[in-house]
Amino acid sequence: MKNDDKVLLDHGSGGKVSHAMFSDLILPLFDNPELSKQDDGAVFDVVQGKMAFSTDSYVVDPIFFPGGNIGDLAVNGTVNDVAMCGAHPLYISVGLIIEEGLAVGDLKIILESMAMAAKKAGVKIVTGDTKVVPRGKADKIFINTSGVGVIPQGVDVSGNQAKAGDKIIVSGSIADHGITILSEREGLKFDSDIKTDSAPLNHMVKDILNSGCKVHVLRDPTRGGLGTTLNEIAAQSNVGIRLYEDKLSVKGAVQGICELLGFDPLYIANEGKLIAFVPQADADRVLEVIRASEFGQDAVIVGEVTDQDPGRVVLETLIGGTRIVDMLTGEQLPRIC
Amino acid sequence: MSLKYVEEFRDGELARQLVKKICRISKKDLRLMEVCGTHTMSIFRHGIRSVLPRGITLLSGPGCPVCVTAQKDIDAYVAFAQRKEVIVTTFGDLMKVPGSNSTLSREKADGADVRMVYSIFDALNIAKENPKKEVVFCAVGFETTIPTIAAAILTAKAQGVENFSIYSANKLTPPALAALMEADGVKIDGFILPGHVSVITGTQAYRQTFETYDIPSVITGFEPVDILQSVLLLVEQNETNCPALVNAYPRAVSDSGNVKAKTIMNQVFEIADAVWRGIGEIPNSGMVLKKEFQAFDGAKKFDMNMPDVPEPKGCACGEILMGLKTPDQCRLYKKACTPMSPVGPCMVSSEGACAAYYKYS
Repeated sequence: MKNDDKVLLDHGSGGKVSHAMFSDLILPLFDNPELSKQDDGAVFDVVQGKMAFSTDSYVVDPIFFPGGNIGDLAVNGTVNDVAMCGAHPLYISVGLIIEEGLAVGDLKIILESMAMAAKKAGVKIVTGDTKVVPRGKADKIFINTSGVGVIPQGVDVSGNQAKAGDKIIVSGSIADHGITILSEREGLKFDSDIKTDSAPLNHMVKDILNSGCKVHVLRDPTRGGLGTTLNEIAAQSNVGIRLYEDKLSVKGAVQGICELLGFDPLYIANEGKLIAFVPQADADRVLEVIRASEFGQDAVIVGEVTDQDPGRVVLETLIGGTRIVDMLTGEQLPRIC
Repeated sequence: MSLKYVEEFRDGELARQLVKKICRISKKDLRLMEVCGTHTMSIFRHGIRSVLPRGITLLSGPGCPVCVTAQKDIDAYVAFAQRKEVIVTTFGDLMKVPGSNSTLSREKADGADVRMVYSIFDALNIAKENPKKEVVFCAVGFETTIPTIAAAILTAKAQGVENFSIYSANKLTPPALAALMEADGVKIDGFILPGHVSVITGTQAYRQTFETYDIPSVITGFEPVDILQSVLLLVEQNETNCPALVNAYPRAVSDSGNVKAKTIMNQVFEIADAVWRGIGEIPNSGMVLKKEFQAFDGAKKFDMNMPDVPEPKGCACGEILMGLKTPDQCRLYKKACTPMSPVGPCMVSSEGACAAYYKYS
């Protein structure tokens, strides 16, 4: 297939053309023993103990954006979902739903990004599927990824484990990914250098878990942003959460665009950040470990868990006032003035 | 994009000093009204209500353009969306506002061509790109956005774009202040006047209202220090019985405002009576296209005369906009009316008083 070719319905037919696309384009990029066997599914050894399993679908528009594309996003997203269960992600499946007419060159870039992201995360793409749908029945390309990973002995992190006194660490600035996508999608010509924060966080999680520190909750605040994720945890654990506005890190350009459009960065998506709930005694050590990671240099303690107002997230504002941070209700829409 | 200029106005220490001063001098119970949706959101977002003395009540007036758009106008936008030949273009806030039977969001899900834009010029471009379609722009807003709409109409006329029109529900702020002061039962001790609108109108636009009603009035910006300073000024004026019209936002607002913007606005639009949701008709408070620009008037082009419709039963948006009730005093609040299923526009607009109450308190 040449780069300037288009993906045709034939490429998803299951016939010769499909096989050629798999053999020529996909297999060389994702090459590993499990995939190369080309069986109906991947076969691998299982370990004793617990495994984590997660799936997610990626339908982002635009498919290319500053700092990444739908391909690495799909791999990083599932790697992170598995990692947030306290697991080491091992294997990933990829389902591609391609709209007829997508440029083969674009598909190749996306697949290469997936291969690179998998390599960086240290996971194997071991099984997958490709479908091509008629033009207009999908938006260029949709990707589903599922992943499995192994949870080390003794690790037990969950959204229902937050306890009063826990410190809440966020691994860096918030809202970078959502504002990057919004700026590109709507054709807003902001003179800024913002880019997605999409990144694999499994190595960071591994370092945290290997540090000997106790961790109660790990979560990546994707859609719905930090505000919604903290509300989910407050409800799951039936605890109160107190956030400090002056501790939250929002990049200047991201803050500026949010101000302009009337968005609250607390509700904007992230793709390369994690939240860790850690007992106070271990908080500083975990913070150090996160800051030592490639993707956690700007980590900060943003708040704490309380036994007051269970299920509620309260923000202490810059001026010393307080307000509720509720779960996002519906999509944020730009304001009129 | 630098926010340094903004950060100074978010200085926590400065804000705390202002709060201390307000607490020290505040003796009377006061009802202060902000007349701008962005102020409403900022007050809630920064937790300003939580730091003020109990006797000071902040009320959200008719300053959210979506909240004051009459239901018949929303019905008109929905009716446009139901026409196959029309592409409806709108700012985001309007998408979910309920008309009598539908919303633009629902019409879009049903297959209507409804597109969210960030500027009316995006709508004009859509018209140029789709010459076989009619593009209608939902013109909802105050003095802040009217000049841009006027500029787009002038551009459309100059470029001969004939498949472009607007449906105007534009409104002017000062007449609404006068209407509030005249309304039965309304008790307001001071106005926090809108910063964005005032950039265009200038301080002079409020002079007549102030001179007629002699009410403390402060034009202010949107950062917490701005708002606290305006509250302090209003408290001082009330405590000393010395009402004044103060421009506390001189970094953006001048006495005469943006003369060029006003000239363009008055070139294309003329003043007319307008119906404000929940308040009713306010004389000379709307802006409609002048005769020479009526080719761009969607209401005329499509003969869109919508009937007046009663507001939803039990919805207190009108009383809330006039400062007669707070959102929690509406019997639908948090019951039949939530952001997921809004009954009135004060709950649907991100800048509406009810949405702010729901979200932040």
